[in-house]
Amino acid sequence: MARATDTAPERLRIVIAEDAAIMRDGLTQTLTRRGHEVVAAVADAESLLQAVEEHRPDVAIIDVRMPPTHTDEGLRAARSIHAGHPGVGVLVFSQYVETRAAAELFATAPAGVGYLLKDRVADVSDFIDAIAQVARGGTVLDPEVVRQLLTVGRRADTLAALTPREREVLSLIAQGRTNAAIAGTLFISGKVVEKHVANIFDKLGLAPSDNDNRRVIAALKYLES
Amino acid sequence: MKPYAGLMLQDAYAWLRRHPRVADAVLGVVLLAASAGQLRISPLSAALAATVVNVLLAASVAVRRREPVLAFAVGASIGLAQAYFGFQPAAGAPVRALQPTVTDLAIVVLLYTLAARRPRRVSALGLAICLAGAGIAIARWAPVHRADGAGLALIAGAGLGGVLLTAWVLGDAAAYRRAYYVSLEDRLAVAERARELQERRARAVDDSAARLRRIERDLHDGAQVRLAALAMTLGEIKENMEQSNGSDDHTLTLVGAAHRSAKDALAELRDLARGIHPPVLDRGLPAALAVLASASAIPARYTAEITERPSPAIEAMAYFCAAELLANATKHSGARRVTIGVREQGPGLVMTVTDDGDGGARLVPGGGLAGLLERVQTVDGRLDVDSPCGGPTTIAVELPRHA
Repeated sequence: MARATDTAPERLRIVIAEDAAIMRDGLTQTLTRRGHEVVAAVADAESLLQAVEEHRPDVAIIDVRMPPTHTDEGLRAARSIHAGHPGVGVLVFSQYVETRAAAELFATAPAGVGYLLKDRVADVSDFIDAIAQVARGGTVLDPEVVRQLLTVGRRADTLAALTPREREVLSLIAQGRTNAAIAGTLFISGKVVEKHVANIFDKLGLAPSDNDNRRVIAALKYLES
Repeated sequence: MKPYAGLMLQDAYAWLRRHPRVADAVLGVVLLAASAGQLRISPLSAALAATVVNVLLAASVAVRRREPVLAFAVGASIGLAQAYFGFQPAAGAPVRALQPTVTDLAIVVLLYTLAARRPRRVSALGLAICLAGAGIAIARWAPVHRADGAGLALIAGAGLGGVLLTAWVLGDAAAYRRAYYVSLEDRLAVAERARELQERRARAVDDSAARLRRIERDLHDGAQVRLAALAMTLGEIKENMEQSNGSDDHTLTLVGAAHRSAKDALAELRDLARGIHPPVLDRGLPAALAVLASASAIPARYTAEITERPSPAIEAMAYFCAAELLANATKHSGARRVTIGVREQGPGLVMTVTDDGDGGARLVPGGGLAGLLERVQTVDGRLDVDSPCGGPTTIAVELPRHA
């Protein structure tokens, strides 16, 4: 889970789209208790689009499976929100995570986007940090997606070139963490992290960039190609 | 409309076919009437006796369909008696009541009926009796015409024998035709039954696929959501306790354990639900197989050429087969590359999983491949294994588009 290291006590305006009432209400109460404002809580994609149009929230939290077909309404809604309102962060959360769905989402919405397993609501602070990060235009990717990407063999030859430590760093990069956060997590210095990152991009044939989001997207796109 | 002769004849024929007993009775009466002139003999007692004999013959025609053997037995007995006693060249005057008449044509009809309605061994015996009777008649009658007896006997024998044989052959052919129709009907009934069972099986397969999908959705909308909400609440309680000073450490430990349990249960429930019905299947087989390929532990390439979606049950079957074959390739083959392909073939589809591993995969009873074969056979699918030692291995699963 991406934990923002520089959390500022800001009051976020949030729209929730989740068809299960118990989850919708639970999220609304939790977020309200943490000082955020839930401007709308809806149960389907159409109402979500209306609510976003009306309230222009900082972030929309979107369940993937919603009526009527219960397949990928949430993903499609997230993409169309991002196209119509690039300033609105979208955090898609799902009972299952799919690397493909994540890749599609990140391909069309390179900033202010998150994709999390629904289970992550259990760690409330982390979840709220993720929301805040997406609201700020950051990127959040579920560790499970990263794990799947790193264990699949599609790029086994290339990834084999990475050292275990570099894989660890790449995994954290893919989760949207800053170099400083990675340094904190791995108990190493910022300089060492920078060296790892440079090595990773070198080995993967990517030009290094200062932008965290573009690092994530580049890594994802490369892994999913 | 003006009545048309051909049409009327057709109607009459149809009517007779609908009323066979009446037709037989009419035939009996006609035969009897035709021989009326031959019954006017004297003395009166002989005429009466001859009438009784002829009426018996006619009556046996009337009941020929219900009692073919009895009718034939009566007719043949009378015929034999006539053949023997009706001509008595040596003893002088024949028994007049037993002289042959036109009604004797009844015997030909009865032989035909016997051949048409009874087994061949019975009707062949009947034919033999008839031919023997004809022989007796000719033997008894020929000496009367001593002048050129041999030639006449030959002609008579050929005539009588030909008529009897023709009757038997026609009857036998009718029996054969009837048996053929009966077998045809049986076969039609079997085919109809097979079709019915196939439909019923398709319904059962579709029902079970729909039920699994419903269970997954119920889990998703019910237990999983509740559990996630519970885990969220426990998480909040835990964080609150951690932040507030003077919390009971023991209670905090318990809440922490409950929180972890809830999260573990969520993960387990997710795996369970996904095993019941992978939600990605709702987006179609190509999407599901693409996800499978992208999550494969060995590099997997994937191609799909499907224009029309198969039924959900078939999609699920293809998906689980692909998952199992991919897992097999990963575990056993030592392959470096796997290719999954789905294409349409005739009325169904073919999915192939090819790996460049060591080969030597075999269909053994109780094995994984045998399990897959059993699974696809429930919808008349096929599974072909081509896996020479040293590889490569290609496993082809053929499935219909609908169960």
